Amino acid sequence: MSESKKIILAEDNSILSLLLKFKLEKEGYKLFIAVNGKEAIQLIEENNPDLILTDIMMPFVSGLEVISHVRNKLELATPIIVFSSAGQEEMVLKAFNLGATDFMSKPFSPNELSIRIKRLLR
Amino acid sequence: MLNIYQYIIDYLKYAPTIIQLSWGLSAVFIFTIFSLTLYLKHLRSRLRTKERIRKVYEKKYESDLIEYLYSGNEEQEVSPEQQIIVNYLKKSSDDGLKRKLIISTLLKLRNEISGEVAIAIQNLYYQTGLINYASSKLKDKKWNVVAKAIKELTQFGIKEVHDEVILLINHPKKEVRKEIQMYLVKLFHFDGLDFLNVLKTPLSEWDQIQLLEILQNFEDQKIPDITDWLESTNNTVVLFALKLAKIYNQFAAKEEIISLLHHADQTIRIDAIDVLTNMGDFEAVTILKNDFEQRSIEEQIAFFKMMENMYDANDFTFISKYINHENFEIKVSAMKILKVINVDDSNAIKIITTDKELSKSANLIKAS
Repeated sequence: MSESKKIILAEDNSILSLLLKFKLEKEGYKLFIAVNGKEAIQLIEENNPDLILTDIMMPFVSGLEVISHVRNKLELATPIIVFSSAGQEEMVLKAFNLGATDFMSKPFSPNELSIRIKRLLR
Repeated sequence: MLNIYQYIIDYLKYAPTIIQLSWGLSAVFIFTIFSLTLYLKHLRSRLRTKERIRKVYEKKYESDLIEYLYSGNEEQEVSPEQQIIVNYLKKSSDDGLKRKLIISTLLKLRNEISGEVAIAIQNLYYQTGLINYASSKLKDKKWNVVAKAIKELTQFGIKEVHDEVILLINHPKKEVRKEIQMYLVKLFHFDGLDFLNVLKTPLSEWDQIQLLEILQNFEDQKIPDITDWLESTNNTVVLFALKLAKIYNQFAAKEEIISLLHHADQTIRIDAIDVLTNMGDFEAVTILKNDFEQRSIEEQIAFFKMMENMYDANDFTFISKYINHENFEIKVSAMKILKVINVDDSNAIKIITTDKELSKSANLIKAS
């Protein structure tokens, strides 16, 4: 059996992280959870994930800074899905300019996220 | 030791009154500071304990919720595992603090998630009986309790309490009214605007803007008939209906909007002119031209703004009468219109003015 795909989830909402961890692990992915951007960068450097899920607004280091770090400093082409809330349209554009692969607007459906992840990791 | 004590007593006894008073006050202050320090220490430790308990329960409820969401099966509406969690949460919600924590946990996830999971969270809200706590608060005497209950019902999307909520639409507190309006529009979309039929209290400009913003986010933009609202005795309802007419191009309500040109309230008359300008209604131009002199200066300005977009060559004589109007905005509008109508013969317009600034403006308009 092939090794599980690694996903880093950077999200400061603990229950949303828990839900996504439960769902995605059930689907065979290995999930690493970061509660802020700083932790996310550390986990990315340590684990070299296959996919990154990040919220835009997070304490200490924002999602945009995470994307910038991955693309410019680590020079990785890892797919990045960004979570945004209503009214953060400009942030989403910035995220795409920095190299985000896809975005999902909150509130989002976990099933839809799962489909997008499958598509990106195919 | 006894000597020292006796010495202090004698000293205070025979000291001047001012000294006695100073010592007395010092003693009171020292006692107060000491008591307050103790109280603060107790308060801080109580808050820390409460925070610790809160965190423990929060974690517990979060994992319970996730377990509930993923322990369902297709055969049963509520699986035995889910029923255990429902019973536990139901029992816990008897306690006020725990109930608050359960609700905030449910909302924390519901605000971020849509689809099946959001529906499941709403079901849990029903099953745990939390809905009963919120709906019973609608009858509370404290306005803030009522407002919070309506907000909670909105966040969980509870449509069943519509009839109880609408009864409070004319609540004396504007905060409660605002929550009701949000409840109705967020849950019932354009149909929720029915509250405008019974609204007797003012609908503030800010409330109107918020309602319009929510309405614009819905996929279905089919607006109900606004004519009743245009005829409302509540002026703020009329103003809101005019905003709806402008945004959603309500040509069907044209006749009612035209009749608002003679409304008793000046703001409504001006807004009606603005909406009719937006609709490009020439019937309104004729009406306003006929009684132009009887209208207030603000309406005259609004009319000239209308004319800037809806003039025709036959308006030359009418417009030229106002080229030397005492109001600057009317004067400039008149010049702009005449310049376009009579572009080949702009020297035909003679401006009588001693105002250098205005002469400059006129020259600029001619030159443009």
